Amino acid sequence: MKIHDPVCGMEIDPKNAFAKREHMGQTFYFCSQSCVDQFDKNPHNYVTTSATTGFNPERTLTRIELPVSGAPLKEHSTHLESALRALEGVGEAKVNRNSGRLEVQYDAQKVDVTRLVNAVKSTGFQVGVANVKIGIENLRCASCVKFIEDELKSTQGVLNATVNIGTQEATVDYLPQKATLSQLNAAIETWGYKPRPATSDEPMDKQEEAHAREYRRLMNMFWFAAIVSLPVLLFAYPQYVPVIRDLSMETIRWAWIISAVVTLPVLFYSGQDFFTGAWASLKHRSANMNTLIALGTGAAWLYSSVAILFPAIFPEGTSEPFYDVVAVVIALVVLGQALELRAKGQSSSAIKKLLGLQAKTARVIRDGQEMDLPIEEVLVGDVIQVRPGEKVPVDGVIVEGSSAVDESMLTGESLPVSKKKGDEVIGATLNKTGAFKFRATKVGKDTALAQIVKMVQDAQNSKAPIARLADTVSGYFVPVVMILAVWTFVIWFNFGPQPQLVYGLVTSVTVLIIACPCALGLATPMSLMVGIGKGAEHGILIRSGEALQTARALNTVVLDKTGTITKGKPELTDVVTSDQSTVNSNQLLKLAASVEKVSEHPLAQAIVEGAQARKLELAEVKNFDAIPGHGVSANVEGQNILIGNLKLMNRENIVLGELEEKSKSLADDGKTPMFIALDGKAAGIIAVADTVKEDSAEAIAVLQKMGIEVVMITGDNRRTAEAIARKVGVTRVLAEVLPEDKANNIHLLQAEGKKVAMVGDGINDAPALAQADVGLAIGTGTDVAIEASDITLIKGSLKGVVTAIEVSRATMTNIYQNLFGAFIYNTLGVPVAMGALFPFFGLLLSPLIAGAAMAFSSVTVVGNANRLRGFKPKFSAR
Amino acid sequence: MTTSQIIVILGGLALTIFIAWYFWFAPKAQTRAAVSESGAQEVAVTVKGGYTPDVIVVQKGRPVRLTFTRHESSACSEKVLFPDFNQNALLPEGEQVTLEFTPDKAGEFGFQCQMGMLRGKLIVE
Repeated sequence: MKIHDPVCGMEIDPKNAFAKREHMGQTFYFCSQSCVDQFDKNPHNYVTTSATTGFNPERTLTRIELPVSGAPLKEHSTHLESALRALEGVGEAKVNRNSGRLEVQYDAQKVDVTRLVNAVKSTGFQVGVANVKIGIENLRCASCVKFIEDELKSTQGVLNATVNIGTQEATVDYLPQKATLSQLNAAIETWGYKPRPATSDEPMDKQEEAHAREYRRLMNMFWFAAIVSLPVLLFAYPQYVPVIRDLSMETIRWAWIISAVVTLPVLFYSGQDFFTGAWASLKHRSANMNTLIALGTGAAWLYSSVAILFPAIFPEGTSEPFYDVVAVVIALVVLGQALELRAKGQSSSAIKKLLGLQAKTARVIRDGQEMDLPIEEVLVGDVIQVRPGEKVPVDGVIVEGSSAVDESMLTGESLPVSKKKGDEVIGATLNKTGAFKFRATKVGKDTALAQIVKMVQDAQNSKAPIARLADTVSGYFVPVVMILAVWTFVIWFNFGPQPQLVYGLVTSVTVLIIACPCALGLATPMSLMVGIGKGAEHGILIRSGEALQTARALNTVVLDKTGTITKGKPELTDVVTSDQSTVNSNQLLKLAASVEKVSEHPLAQAIVEGAQARKLELAEVKNFDAIPGHGVSANVEGQNILIGNLKLMNRENIVLGELEEKSKSLADDGKTPMFIALDGKAAGIIAVADTVKEDSAEAIAVLQKMGIEVVMITGDNRRTAEAIARKVGVTRVLAEVLPEDKANNIHLLQAEGKKVAMVGDGINDAPALAQADVGLAIGTGTDVAIEASDITLIKGSLKGVVTAIEVSRATMTNIYQNLFGAFIYNTLGVPVAMGALFPFFGLLLSPLIAGAAMAFSSVTVVGNANRLRGFKPKFSAR
Repeated sequence: MTTSQIIVILGGLALTIFIAWYFWFAPKAQTRAAVSESGAQEVAVTVKGGYTPDVIVVQKGRPVRLTFTRHESSACSEKVLFPDFNQNALLPEGEQVTLEFTPDKAGEFGFQCQMGMLRGKLIVE
């Protein structure tokens, strides 16, 4: 085969060509270097096109699929299509309304993707463009910025790219159909730079890394201070140490001078946080733990140094240094901080568990190609393949296939839920049996799981009202301790025993060091964090610290009937045959279900499902007729059948006999009976009812045992309401309450002086949920972030109410313990440090002990909060 | 009573008054948020041993955009909380983190780190 060199027109054999270039999907062969050079200067000129239309029919068009969103596709898709076709170089543009994708065939030489995207935007639609930030390591030269930007922009599918040398980051807008993250990384690598391995945006991972780094830093600081402490400590008490005891005073003085020098780096390396922190807060006219430690250790070092340099200015026997206090206290407090950090890491384990539910990758089908993508790159509108045993990566709707999905991690429903085309699937649930494809509807931070995580994190960082007390106290705490330290010195100096200066200084330093505002500050947030996390683990999303605190004091729980105590969906409960019936109950049910299959009445569904549950095969129906307000008539297997209420039976003159009595007793039980007549004779009754959830009675019994009054509220008639109430053991029933009056009824209960919780479904009960002291909404599926509620029970069971109250009680008890501990520690510790016990027992606290006490008091608080992690609700144990 | 004792007592008194004045009574510098082109009230806050600035004055009903940059690794300050507005953010060291919300109520609202060691105040007018 011979072809032409595009520059000089010479006929050449591709096999013997001097060089080869590929441009815009075409391959060119050249006869010589000069032709190649000419081509490289402006390759665009040599692409063959039709002179008249600017459209080359010979060339295969580039095809691209763009996910579009924004305006309703149904009405505006023609507008969108014509806007694109109007562009020069666009061959075909077609919108697939079902998938929300725009398919364009275009001549890549005439029009580029950026212009296509702009055309889409000009019609009011949005294109699913992905935006990503990629870190670039060691980006120093400003000129390279341009190269990398150009390289990225010339990568297929990239719409825009900017590189910021300040943040060392590239920001890229790209079409995920055309480019993947690894291709973008490759473009950066071609310039010899290393993209930072796709920095995980997971704040948890980052935080964990930061904690690990900080822990190492603190431990380094601790070891340094600890190693220095040892010799300094030995020389601080020469009279007690065997060998040192025998050294001359002169040698010991030198040892002290060396101590002064070596404790300086302890102050300014190991203790750097205290000094920088103290200085920073001092500038803001505030004071905190750093201020106290910095003052205490600083004063000890200064005094000691003056004492050994100018012993003469001090009274006899007072010129001894105490550098040991400096080194040991700093070592201990830093160690305490390191331990505290470690313990804190455990406190956030709940969030980690939730995030761990998520799949890491998704098998996305784009342009007919299956590819494994990190979950962060999945976009709304993507079609994703899920095989048996895999996790569903994001939220979406099934478009092909069917399966059973285990949703227990999010809904608590222990049996796998069967899913078919059109059904919703939730990210992080587990696909069990079949393979299916689904279209992503929510990704990233919009998925149900991400919302749960966000809600839990927000709640963990919220404030319980009780924390305000600790806040107010700690606002005054540090300056008060400073003033106490001053007066400790003054009193010891004026009234203490000899050497007064030393006693005064040691005690006031001890006061500064023992006071621990941290324990106060940590008391509530740490317990709240563990408690709310623990709730989340059991499917209880507590929205704020305030809700958690209020839930503890609840003494009345109002339960909505429909959907809360009951399943909220009618079910077949009874099949009764009459004495003269010619059919048995299964046959009766089969006939009725066959008829009801045609009907659209909600109760009909219950009968059909009941028949299916008994594995009855349905028959064919003829002459179906719905009689409004009465029931239905039809012909099944040659028999005329009537299904309906008493009115229908009376109209048709059917003798009911003992059935009428039976129907009354069924109605008394809260059921809805329907009469059935076959060929003009009463055959039986089928009853349906909204049945009680299996565990409602058990949960209500536990609530009552916890000393909580349970009230049922419903719009239903009193007879049905009381029937249900009897079944679950509720004695107080508010029936026939109009939806708008529910909130008012809650208010009336509150007026009785009760702390009321309302449990409802979040949509119909929103005003009542808001009125109650604590509103608990039952939410399932992707509908988890229910605005009106203080607590959301994602597992749908009333047991959640019990667990929520238990979590609240356990957490609040823990918070009280912490606060009590912190208050007691400080109110006992500070006076003892001041020497309150000295006049009676001659007991004085060493600053070393004070340092240890202070360091471990905050560790104890965090440790006590972590005890909550062992919390077990009553029900999960069974 | 010796002279030195009297001096120590007087010194103690003076220090007490100074501490009380310095931490409680002296007026604090306030920073008024600048309104940007987009109409948001923007303030950049540095986190190092404290919040700088720590008293921020904003207007009610107009979005507030606070950009925090944390220049320390101490875990104390890794989160900033505005409990009254239910806002919080994790502050990775050296990264700019922006919190945006619209104060819908006037008054003085504290913001702080998780355990309340670092504190600031948002004054909504």
